[in-house]
Amino acid sequence: MYSDLLNALPEVFGLANFLAVIIGVIAGIVVGAMPGLSATMAISVLVPFTFGLEPLVALGLMAGIYNGAMYGGAIPAVLLRIPGTPAAVATTFDGYPMAQKGEGGFALQVAVVSSSIGGIASAFALMLLAPPLSRVTLLFGPAEVFWVAVFGLASIIFLLGGSPVKGLISACFGVFVSVIGSDPIFGSDRFTFGKLELLDGISIVILLVGLYALPPVIDLLETPLKTGVSEDKLGTEPIWKALPRMKGFWKTWLRGSFIGIWIGILPGAGGSMAAFMSYNEARRASKHPERWGEGEAEGVAAAETANNADTASALIPALTLGIPGTAVAAVMLGGLLVHGLQPGPMLFRDNPDVVFGFMWQFLFGAILLVLLGGSLATNSFARLLNLPRPLLGSIIIVLMLIGVYSIHGRMFDVYLMLGFGAVGWVMDKLKFPLPPVVLGLILGAFAEENLRLALRIGRGDWSVLFRNTTSLVLVALTIAVIVGPGLKQRILDARKARRQA
Amino acid sequence: MTEARQNRLLRPETLTAIGLIVAATGFLIPTFDLRPISALLPAAMLIGLIVLSALLLVSDQRKAAAGEVAKPVSTAPGRVIGAFALIVGYAVATDLLGFYPSTVVIIPLVSAIFGYRSPLGLVIATAIVVGSIWLIFDFGMSQDFPAGRLWQD
Repeated sequence: MYSDLLNALPEVFGLANFLAVIIGVIAGIVVGAMPGLSATMAISVLVPFTFGLEPLVALGLMAGIYNGAMYGGAIPAVLLRIPGTPAAVATTFDGYPMAQKGEGGFALQVAVVSSSIGGIASAFALMLLAPPLSRVTLLFGPAEVFWVAVFGLASIIFLLGGSPVKGLISACFGVFVSVIGSDPIFGSDRFTFGKLELLDGISIVILLVGLYALPPVIDLLETPLKTGVSEDKLGTEPIWKALPRMKGFWKTWLRGSFIGIWIGILPGAGGSMAAFMSYNEARRASKHPERWGEGEAEGVAAAETANNADTASALIPALTLGIPGTAVAAVMLGGLLVHGLQPGPMLFRDNPDVVFGFMWQFLFGAILLVLLGGSLATNSFARLLNLPRPLLGSIIIVLMLIGVYSIHGRMFDVYLMLGFGAVGWVMDKLKFPLPPVVLGLILGAFAEENLRLALRIGRGDWSVLFRNTTSLVLVALTIAVIVGPGLKQRILDARKARRQA
Repeated sequence: MTEARQNRLLRPETLTAIGLIVAATGFLIPTFDLRPISALLPAAMLIGLIVLSALLLVSDQRKAAAGEVAKPVSTAPGRVIGAFALIVGYAVATDLLGFYPSTVVIIPLVSAIFGYRSPLGLVIATAIVVGSIWLIFDFGMSQDFPAGRLWQD
């Protein structure tokens, strides 16, 4: 099977195929950088345009967009505290404080290098592990998937710091929003109040734009006119000069790559969860956890490595089993089907040139990210901060409307986004953490579906959730995450008291 | 009700907690019409919200009793309300009058109201933004934008 991988390489270097990756990466960065526009949306729009193209050209565009958008999302996350894509939420934690300190350029360079490293690791994982790892994911039944979701949610509530009560309120709100729409098993309406627009549930993009784009826009307009920061304060310098400052990040890159790849393989988890987990783990391992959240470059590295390491690996279950790991992977599956490529084990046998060529395109897309994203980020996008704040605010308002309107082509979503925006602004001001809301929405529906599936399999017996070792390990990890920070604090307090005595 | 007691109830966290309890209780009512398994997660979340909000309320009132002053939510409430009103107004105008006319007005209007008043800069910025949107979305992607309900009707 690996000989097919090498045989597919010459095809990828064809002019049209390679050009498709380059165009895709640039387009992806631009789309990712625009708040409210996601890789999912860009690829969905792209798919109908690829009917007449060769499969590898179409797939190259998709691979490029996916890679580019995952990094592009970091640009507004760092400069404006608006995650361009859902996976860039964790990048805001330290990226934005860095920009506030005049290190926006360096934060973007850390983001692009980390994204590239994560993307390269993920592409290798896809190339080398796709067939054998597909067997591992088969071991995850609904009970295990449910516990993965619970673990993800618990991690973000209890490891993010701040008030656990506020974190739990945020998570409950997010999970509640996720249940709006049709019941996944019986199809009955829940909290739709007769609105047809709510039947399919609430798109995460609406919630994200509302929660993460509107409050910063209000902030931009609330504070008196400022003309950004001068260019020397951005800290923009050639990327090769910035690289030595990142030499201590190798452990974070390695850890983030592993987490991203692992989360990507798990169906449904996605880049946001990978970024959050990588960020939390890196902070836990840090010698100075107190600096995190106040402009620690390693925080940007942790989040960006993981959310890009999730890209290609999310396609492992998608290509081998037909189970998309993320929403983007689901759209990509649609793109494969458009070209008559049926995902599954047969794909590797019948179309090795296309499937392995696609994997190479992911690798080249990740490498191109440093060349294209690096120069774009430092020389062009970083200058966003120099735009007059009211003008920037008004442009973002327009982009928000376009992004949300273009999901389903209806104004209802725009009004819904404004509602979430008002909620988000209040939450932001009262220090309610926003990430648990997003993760609640992502994992809520997913957890519910798998919980109900597990209960159906166990004929209503709740012990089905604790019957196998994988489930028990996940339960233990969840308890550790909940109890751990409090226990650690008590031990530290006891030691301090003993020392003082 | 004394002024001190009234101030205690007007603290931002207290108001938020009361709002959450009221909203969650309201949303809890429709769950009684659902199948138990369908109602399980939403009801659990709503009850969770009520309990947690009650804890938040108690904690905030304890802080108030200890004499802790609540920080104001906004330093410039007028600007916040104005900004939000303009954004809502833009959405309504897009719905009624159409995307392009509303956008041509909102960019210079918001910028000028909030402090950027260079006429040339505003004209150039508006032209670049609206032109790029038309070129990328309308022309390049065939994306339809609201034409305005008033004209359609």
